[in-house]
Amino acid sequence: MPKDKADLLQGTLDMLILKSLSLGELHGYGIIQRLRQLSDEMLNVEQGSLYPALYRIEQKGWVTARWDVHETGREAKFYKLTRSGRKQLETQEASWDRLVLAITKVRQATT
Amino acid sequence: MKWFNILRDRLRALRRRDSVINDIDREMRSHLDLQIEANIRAGMSPREAREKALRSFGNLNRAVDAAYDVKGGGLFETLVQDVRYGTRVLLKHKAFTAIAVITLALGIGANSAIFSVVNELLLRPLPYQDPERIVMLWEVSPDGRHQNTTSRANFRGWRAQSTSYEHMAAFSDQRLTLTGNFEPEEVSGQLALPEIFNVLGVQPILGRTLLPEDAQPNSPLVAVLSHGLWQRRFGGQASAIGQPIILNGRKFEIAGVMPPNFQFHIKQRSGTGRPAEVWIVLPMPSGTIEAERGRFLSTVARLKPGVSIDQAGAELRTIEARLSDEVPEFNKNYSAEVLPLREQFFGNVRRPLWLMLGAVGFVLLIACANVANLLLSLATSREKEIALRAALGARRSRIVRQLLTESLLLALLGSVLGLGFAWLGIKALPLISPRDVVSLHSVGLNFSVLMWTLGVSILTGIIFGLAPALHISRLNLNDSLKEGGKAEAGQATGSKRLRNVLVVSEIALAVVLLASAGLLIRSFIRLQQVDRGFNSDNVLSLVVRLPSARYPEDAQLVQFFNQSMERMRNLPGVRSAGMINFLPLYGGLGSNTAFKIIGKPLPEPGQEPNCDVRVVDAGYFQTLGIPLLRGRNFSDAEQREAKRVIVINEALARKHFPNEDPIGQRLDVAMFATPTLTEIVGVVGNVRYDSLTEEAPEAVYFPHPELPYPFMTLVLRTDGDPTAIAPAVQREIRALDANQPVSDVRTMDQVMSEAVARSRFNTLLLGLFAGLATLLAAVGIFGVMNYSVALRTREIGLRLAVGAQPRQVLLLVLKQGLTLTVAGVALGLLAAFALTRLLTSLLFGVEAFDATTFATISLLLVLVSLLACYLPARRAMRIDPMMALRYE
Repeated sequence: MPKDKADLLQGTLDMLILKSLSLGELHGYGIIQRLRQLSDEMLNVEQGSLYPALYRIEQKGWVTARWDVHETGREAKFYKLTRSGRKQLETQEASWDRLVLAITKVRQATT
Repeated sequence: MKWFNILRDRLRALRRRDSVINDIDREMRSHLDLQIEANIRAGMSPREAREKALRSFGNLNRAVDAAYDVKGGGLFETLVQDVRYGTRVLLKHKAFTAIAVITLALGIGANSAIFSVVNELLLRPLPYQDPERIVMLWEVSPDGRHQNTTSRANFRGWRAQSTSYEHMAAFSDQRLTLTGNFEPEEVSGQLALPEIFNVLGVQPILGRTLLPEDAQPNSPLVAVLSHGLWQRRFGGQASAIGQPIILNGRKFEIAGVMPPNFQFHIKQRSGTGRPAEVWIVLPMPSGTIEAERGRFLSTVARLKPGVSIDQAGAELRTIEARLSDEVPEFNKNYSAEVLPLREQFFGNVRRPLWLMLGAVGFVLLIACANVANLLLSLATSREKEIALRAALGARRSRIVRQLLTESLLLALLGSVLGLGFAWLGIKALPLISPRDVVSLHSVGLNFSVLMWTLGVSILTGIIFGLAPALHISRLNLNDSLKEGGKAEAGQATGSKRLRNVLVVSEIALAVVLLASAGLLIRSFIRLQQVDRGFNSDNVLSLVVRLPSARYPEDAQLVQFFNQSMERMRNLPGVRSAGMINFLPLYGGLGSNTAFKIIGKPLPEPGQEPNCDVRVVDAGYFQTLGIPLLRGRNFSDAEQREAKRVIVINEALARKHFPNEDPIGQRLDVAMFATPTLTEIVGVVGNVRYDSLTEEAPEAVYFPHPELPYPFMTLVLRTDGDPTAIAPAVQREIRALDANQPVSDVRTMDQVMSEAVARSRFNTLLLGLFAGLATLLAAVGIFGVMNYSVALRTREIGLRLAVGAQPRQVLLLVLKQGLTLTVAGVALGLLAAFALTRLLTSLLFGVEAFDATTFATISLLLVLVSLLACYLPARRAMRIDPMMALRYE
């Protein structure tokens, strides 16, 4: 469960990164592209803040990273979800759902 | 896994900073390249594609920085950077650095010095096996005197009936004369049951300790030597084991040698006043009343595992009550107590030591407040620099960290210098510490002290650094830049409030310390003014102890001492001479003995009045200037043989003969094996024998043939410097007996000085700390006022320009300083009221809330602060209005 607001916000980005990786190995640029696609261009993650979050996730052992050659022939660093990362994603999604549900209920009650 | 990844990243960052940054850089560039390619594919020109990619990425450098921070490199990186930068700042402001470091060093040094003593005495384990299980067993006398020695009979009762102890041993410290093919020497001996070595759990380095079979009747006499005596007398030769040694004229065989650091010295009731150098078996005869009932034994024991002090104490009291029922004539109303060994050793210094630690803590807080103030002033002049850093993208936390690094640097520098001060302090402590308090010679700068100092310096660095750092980083930086680096009065209000709070706290802390020191000083003066009942000017004292092997008969003792007195009186420069068994205020206890008054109703057993018994000659009263109030002194005949006469003191006469003439009354003082009546021939003035703080005990003086002692303290009143006569005295004693040493040669003034040594020690130390605190507080006020005048230059210039008199400006500044001082003093007095009661046990003849003391120190502080304000005020007076106005 998120402990406070800051955790929640940061955790949200973490969750989105994990989610994008759950469909397969990706590099940083790819993560941002995939998030854009998946959200129908509504989510535009600031690129500068992606990497600190990515490194933090890597340190937590949720993803692993390796350098490889991109299909365009350029090298890029690829990130892959680990088992604990997948579990983390489930936990975060569940708690996110609970939060959304709770907020929805509150909003319906007041309108 | 998680911590491992973090550690790996950080270590890699530390070792190969460039490769980590390269890695990040490479990744972000590859990201950008992918974006640019995508943009080109979307139909942009290469240049446009690149610009758009960069724009959408945001601040590239900042992103690399943030990523690097996550990778952990930032921590070390910025630390190195901060330290390097901080060093440059400190070097640039040399005067500031010097003042701050010295201030901190004084505070930290005082802390380390006192902590090293606290650590040695109160925290470090005692040098015995499982020391927390070692306890002392004492009797409590019917009149409530604690830590009294017990008798052989009662010790046997304790040992037989108790179940709380693994081992129990009785011992008694006695001075022994060591003779042989060398100068006769007096050594300090511990007569002990062999179990004492089991109790303490200490092994010899050579040979063996005393063993139970040594205590069997008719077993050979053996002695265990201290390391020191072994070195001194036997040159540290292993062959000393088995060699003979002559103690008090009897031959002992050396059985073992103890380790160098071993000592077991219980000052309470010790007959020697110094650690034992030789251990021999304590004889435990039984049968006669004298052998059974004489109370002279100290008892030490080792608790069984799991037995608490309280349990042991309760058991001992039960046993003592039983003994009291069995033998009421000796034990009625006696109780018993069990004390942990540490309490026994240091119980009496614990409170003063914690108080001193508190005091130096206050000094350090004042030092911190001062340095915080200095940092604030420095920071104001660095505002532009800091604003620039912020404008260039440094985050607030980064600036705070930079400033804190500087504070920590200062604190560490201060602690290095402080350790130097502490070392000096520790060297100086034994010079002023009372002889009987503790041996401070083993106190040093060991590992714990270094760790403590490091901890204290880091803590102080944070304490004095945090407030200014937070404050500065909050300043409105845009204004600073616009104003061209000069702080405006309005903007500095917050800083001013912080400074005022700091200086008021400093003054308050100084007030508490000054009040405490003031109370101790007044106590010390009172102590000096106490009417002790004798005159110590130009009096020399020394002890002669005759070994029983060479002087077995009482008559020989009497003759020797009479002859030596005769020789003393005939020495040139000696006005009068006398002797007493136990000198006033000097270690030895007079026997606290029961007596009966003939012709008065007999009190219940255990209810008899007690008196302090001293053995003297007629010359003693005259030599120490003790007035004869009634009757007469001892005659010559009474000093040659026992004529059953005594002299009593005024206290005894007042208490027991309030409305009658004591002269001619007869007492039976229980100093003899059989009831012995003695007649009172004279009454002399009271003397405070036990301590200056206690009323003189009721006392009975016997002439020495009545109760011959094998040792006497000779006192001589001289025309000039009493120490000059010492060699002649020694010569005369040698002339009577070539094998006879003298010991404890000291003037009565030295004895007096030792009697107040503890009070002097506490007073000196606390006075020193209070002085330091006041000085630092004064520096603090000066700093704040000086800075305030600098800030108000324009305002003051304006006032002067529109016609204010310099005197008014002076008053303006003084008033501001005085307001701060009065607030500090008021706050300090409140705190002092709450805290000085902790001092009560150290005070004598003065209340913990002594109005005079409090008023005096308040006045003192106000004067000091006015003085500290005067220089800035004068500067304000001399401000040139034209210059001040043109300045902005």
